[in-house]
Amino acid sequence: MTEVRSFEYLRKLARQCMFECSDEELVEIQQEFVILEKQIELLNMVDTDGVEPMVYPFEMETSFLREDEVVNVLSEEDVLRNATKTRNGHVLVPTVVR
Amino acid sequence: MIEMMKKDFCESEKHINEAIQKAQKLQAKLNAVVTFVDPSEQIENAKKKSEGLMSGVPIVLKDNVSTKGIRTTASSHILDNYVPVYDAHIVDLLRNHGAVNIAKASLDELAMGGTNLTAATGAVHNPWDLSRISGGSSGGSAVLVASGVVPFAIGSDTGDSVRKPASYCGVIGVKPTYGRISRYGIIPYASSLDHVGYFVRNVKDACIGLEVVAGRDDRDMTSSYKEVQHYSEVCDGSIKGKKIGIIKNVMNSITNKAVIESFNSLIEKLKSEGAEVKEITFDEDLLRAILPTYYMIANCEATANHANLDGIRFGKQMPADSTEEVMVASRTAGFGIQVRKRFITGSYGLFVENQEKLLRKAQRVRRLIVEAMHTALEDVECLIAPAASGIAPSIESEKMDELASEYLVAENHMVMGNFSGYPSMTLPMGFDEGCPLGVNITCKPFEEVTMFNIGYGIERCTGLKDLVAEVK
Repeated sequence: MTEVRSFEYLRKLARQCMFECSDEELVEIQQEFVILEKQIELLNMVDTDGVEPMVYPFEMETSFLREDEVVNVLSEEDVLRNATKTRNGHVLVPTVVR
Repeated sequence: MIEMMKKDFCESEKHINEAIQKAQKLQAKLNAVVTFVDPSEQIENAKKKSEGLMSGVPIVLKDNVSTKGIRTTASSHILDNYVPVYDAHIVDLLRNHGAVNIAKASLDELAMGGTNLTAATGAVHNPWDLSRISGGSSGGSAVLVASGVVPFAIGSDTGDSVRKPASYCGVIGVKPTYGRISRYGIIPYASSLDHVGYFVRNVKDACIGLEVVAGRDDRDMTSSYKEVQHYSEVCDGSIKGKKIGIIKNVMNSITNKAVIESFNSLIEKLKSEGAEVKEITFDEDLLRAILPTYYMIANCEATANHANLDGIRFGKQMPADSTEEVMVASRTAGFGIQVRKRFITGSYGLFVENQEKLLRKAQRVRRLIVEAMHTALEDVECLIAPAASGIAPSIESEKMDELASEYLVAENHMVMGNFSGYPSMTLPMGFDEGCPLGVNITCKPFEEVTMFNIGYGIERCTGLKDLVAEVK
């Protein structure tokens, strides 16, 4: 599993999350991945053959649909209140298609 | 404490002002507050809510609780300028009961940590010994209750983030059953593990607190329809005949003599009050797998949940030439390294080639751990163990051996309460080097009455009630 600790692989993981890490930070992450891999081995000590994944604590399915009523509506002004740049009721971003 | 404060509103106004003054005075030493809140409007509201269970009582909210018109940062730079346009459900409930929020409290960035050293505003200090951590992620809330600023503070608990700081700070930390308290308006961490919890200084206040903040909310589909009980009335504190199971694996992994003596002494007292105590040993491999199970599930869920923190629609935006680069620049500048590390772990677990062997594997182990808890709780009404392997570590201390059972089991067993959603609370049980030690109890789902009754018994046995740290 050592390839997962290469700078290239870790940069790919970071980019997947839409951020960057400095070389110094990557060295720190490399060191922590050594521990992480050992801790992951502890998962493999447990036999999970035939065991279903548990996704939520209580597996009760929602068996109804709520009424189709408009509730908890935010005004356009409120929705845009925290955006850095807005124009004509929209969030403004740098030009996407040039 | 809460009842005493709400009796007389003139007195309450005095309590609110005293709380604010005390919080401001202690801020230089504790660094527990992110934002102080002007209480004027809330005081006027509280006057109209004289029948409320917290009328005129000063409280604190963790800064991942959305508060309309009040900056809410989750202690992250990326939310430095974020002002919610709606209130969390629990804010509505607390207001309806006349509570007065005086401050937004510090947390580990985005609630992702157990030390409160990663907050954008810096480390929070333990009021019993300023050189020690508060614990996290709800460290600011724990510290403001422990130092006597407020009698009640909201926290959140994804992997012991209420119960561990409660242990380190000598207060009670409650994490009720998953679904007991709505999470609408709480900035999420990992949705299948996130719980709202709170801090108080005695069990009676723990009962009142749950009566105020529990209940169904249609805006959180995981919130329960089960009736909210009048816990403060139905709990009689009797533990005679109560069956309590000691988690033997936790005791086996602890080396600190003060913790062992304190715990054993408590158990003897509980027995003398009529509790029936037995030892329960879990499969050691299962308990040693708690932490990697948590890391995988929590970080994968967090990576997905926080994809919306990109500086575009809200939050701090960094300039760049394209939308994608705005997001990358904003997230790079906005997240601290500890959070980025966790996202990288999450991204690793979510890669298609890893999902089965990491995330799904963790979710399967989670099921086995919860099944083991369920089986254990068929024989007893409550599981009990020390909440941590010792007192709060020093801020400068070295990391523990992260592969030793003392770390994997004794320091992380409370995460089982998040995997299962079972109700769990931490109470003070003793002192070592002048700092508090905590004990944790976990009960069956929605059996908060049993949990509070055993909590009352522990409080009676230790005599550790209404502790207030004198900040030096």
